[in-house]
Amino acid sequence: MEKNDSVIMTEQPDIAIEVKDVCISYRLLPNITMKHSVFEEKGGHEVFEAVKNVSFSVREGEILGIVGENGSGKSTLLRSIGGIFSPNSGSIDLKGHSVSLMALGIGFKDTLSGRENIILSGMLLGFSEKEIMQRMDEIIEFSELGEFIDMPLRTYSSGMHSKLAFSITALLESDIILIDEVFSVGDERFGRKSFAKMQELISDKKHTVIMVSHNIRMMLKICNEVLWLHEGRVREIGRPMSVLKHYYFFMTE
Amino acid sequence: MRFIQDTRSFYRDMRKYYRYALRLAKADLETEVINSYLDWLWWLLEPLGMMLVYIFIYGVVFNVIEEYFSVFIFIGLTMWSFFAGNIMESIFTVRKNSGIISRIYIPKYILLFSRMLVNGFKMLISFGIVALMMLIYRIPVSVHILYIIPILFDLFLITFACGTILLHYGVFVRDLSYVTNIALRMMMYLSGIFYAVGKRIPPPYGEIMEKANPIAWLLAAARDALIYKTAVSWELLVLWAVIGSLILLFGISLIYRNENSYMRSI
Repeated sequence: MEKNDSVIMTEQPDIAIEVKDVCISYRLLPNITMKHSVFEEKGGHEVFEAVKNVSFSVREGEILGIVGENGSGKSTLLRSIGGIFSPNSGSIDLKGHSVSLMALGIGFKDTLSGRENIILSGMLLGFSEKEIMQRMDEIIEFSELGEFIDMPLRTYSSGMHSKLAFSITALLESDIILIDEVFSVGDERFGRKSFAKMQELISDKKHTVIMVSHNIRMMLKICNEVLWLHEGRVREIGRPMSVLKHYYFFMTE
Repeated sequence: MRFIQDTRSFYRDMRKYYRYALRLAKADLETEVINSYLDWLWWLLEPLGMMLVYIFIYGVVFNVIEEYFSVFIFIGLTMWSFFAGNIMESIFTVRKNSGIISRIYIPKYILLFSRMLVNGFKMLISFGIVALMMLIYRIPVSVHILYIIPILFDLFLITFACGTILLHYGVFVRDLSYVTNIALRMMMYLSGIFYAVGKRIPPPYGEIMEKANPIAWLLAAARDALIYKTAVSWELLVLWAVIGSLILLFGISLIYRNENSYMRSI
């Protein structure tokens, strides 16, 4: 066994995410009209399998990267871990940890003030009003909105909008963070600040992270393990160096 | 087995999300106030205006007069608008909230529930006007007035129950809103907003139509309790509550089983 591995092995943190034999399929029956169902034959429910028999686990505080071509099921898998849809078979066990998919401005209402939107969005993310209130000042400070925080959202510029959205997501963090592409928002300065904050969240040992990205160099630098999804199946999982190398050669062929 | 499991999830999720539903309802009400010109006055003006239309058409043109006719119509309209408004909204619940649904998990009926709180609040304001009108007309009241509480409970339950089922089919069936619109119009005329079903339709059909249609029955019951000092049948109140609960559980179960495929259809 190599030295690098033995360091991780001796610490043995608990498993935070356990995904077992997960299959996710969509029934393709969008937008039936009455005319369809009455006058036309039902062509059976066509089923599209997006994720097939995927199993893996992530230890607490670790970072798992997911790579794969477009349409290989990465986002679907991420969303089902985030609970947006349940898998058709198999199980996802988060061992009681809270989870959120990092997305900006969920449930924002244009007519309400920034402050009110922090509460609404936070509650939707699963935080109690009390928890949100405790971090309210921190969020407002990070967002750099100043007095605008009590103005309705429709008066915000798009930059201010995304600053608020990012601050909520970054400061109301859950145990498990799911990231679909690392992003930065706002102007040049806030962009740097938000990118740094995101990296801080990711590498922080408190959080377990699963991230989807196409940025191979960044993944190589920060991930503990990389999973390569190909056509919904696990093609390879293991140390970033070897998986990413194979993936890179596959993609450039 | 499945039903028991879904009932448990329903109880758990309602506890987890009702605060959000309340907050969202409050936000929606505030938004409506900010967006309209006469603010919340519209919540009073709209039903009052509708009442005038119906009084003119039925009271003057067709000469159908019930005792305390304006209050009679106003109660009917208030309760009917609550039912019909929620039913129409339920169809678009998922489509309208795709921004939330595609990014975070929330039991979809919570969004409907929140809208029902909004419409329920408006209904209560309308009932405030009913109380005012009852004072103006000096309508004598009795203790039977308290029946209005279980009556409104039943109305809420039955509306929620029908709403969950339409919420589900609204995702997949694009033209459901047209069909529902026609069905609602039909139901409106059958429910006796501006006439007494049990009295105007010859027996035995009048009574059958009133008792078999929960909305018609609830309207008649509300009028009995509020303006005619009449007791309401407990048996029917309980029966409709039970039927409402069963349909609700069916709808909730339908949503739980299918909500993971909603995302792909919108």
